[in-house]
Amino acid sequence: MPVQADTYKRIVAAKMFIDNNYHETINLEQISKQAYFSKFHFHRLFTGIYNVTPNEYLTAQRIHHAKILLAKEGISISDVCNSVGFESLASFSLLFKKRNGYGPLYYRNLAYLKNKLQKEQPKQFIPHCIIQQFGVEESKNQ
Amino acid sequence: MITKLSHATLFVTDQDKAYNFYVTTLGFTVHTDAKMQNGFRWLTVSPPQQPDIEISLLSPLHEGMSYDEETKKAFKVLLDKNALGAGVLYTPDCYATYEELKAKGVEFKSEPREQFYGIEAIITDGCGNWFSMTQPKEM
Repeated sequence: MPVQADTYKRIVAAKMFIDNNYHETINLEQISKQAYFSKFHFHRLFTGIYNVTPNEYLTAQRIHHAKILLAKEGISISDVCNSVGFESLASFSLLFKKRNGYGPLYYRNLAYLKNKLQKEQPKQFIPHCIIQQFGVEESKNQ
Repeated sequence: MITKLSHATLFVTDQDKAYNFYVTTLGFTVHTDAKMQNGFRWLTVSPPQQPDIEISLLSPLHEGMSYDEETKKAFKVLLDKNALGAGVLYTPDCYATYEELKAKGVEFKSEPREQFYGIEAIITDGCGNWFSMTQPKEM
């Protein structure tokens, strides 16, 4: 049965609630209230539209934002974990590794190295054909 | 033997504005963001589920680019009109994505419509390009 336009708007409102509140302790009841549906009905509609459950989507958003914070300096992994809404460092690390194949510390080290190289040797990242074809003027220092 | 596409280029009017659209609004991830001393910025992004494809967001109007003035003018005309058709963006649900992006202020050239290949809306990035945003028909 096709989804009505009004239903889409309500489900999208709930999805955007997750996008804006992933860092808080939120549950299915609070999320489904945004859509003015019962928990069961909302869960079925959300999963049908997005192919993931609301909880899977919430976890994905938390991990996504955790990666952005891990790439920054000056914030500990434990603070990243709390900032994105995880209550336990252990469960954060486990979920992070499950999704990415490596843990948050490994990701942080990789991101740090990449950022450092991008700042110090940007030409290492730019294909030579781009420099050549688009005639990007080079500085003598690079 | 060529096995896949690894990079594609999108010309944009403004790289910061393009970053906002593709990364903040559409949820693409930043693959590389490197700036040379002369200000040339190599900014590449990847769609959420295609981390091995890099889309470079390139500004042809940057003063460091060696295009002649006539070419730069031509680029500016096309980009200012959002005239460059860049490709097709896949969505599992065109109506839901349309509602969400509209709520975020994205401009569409057309709302979702049934086509023989699926449901399609035409979306603009505000930096010179339009895309087909398509939910393919299930075979």
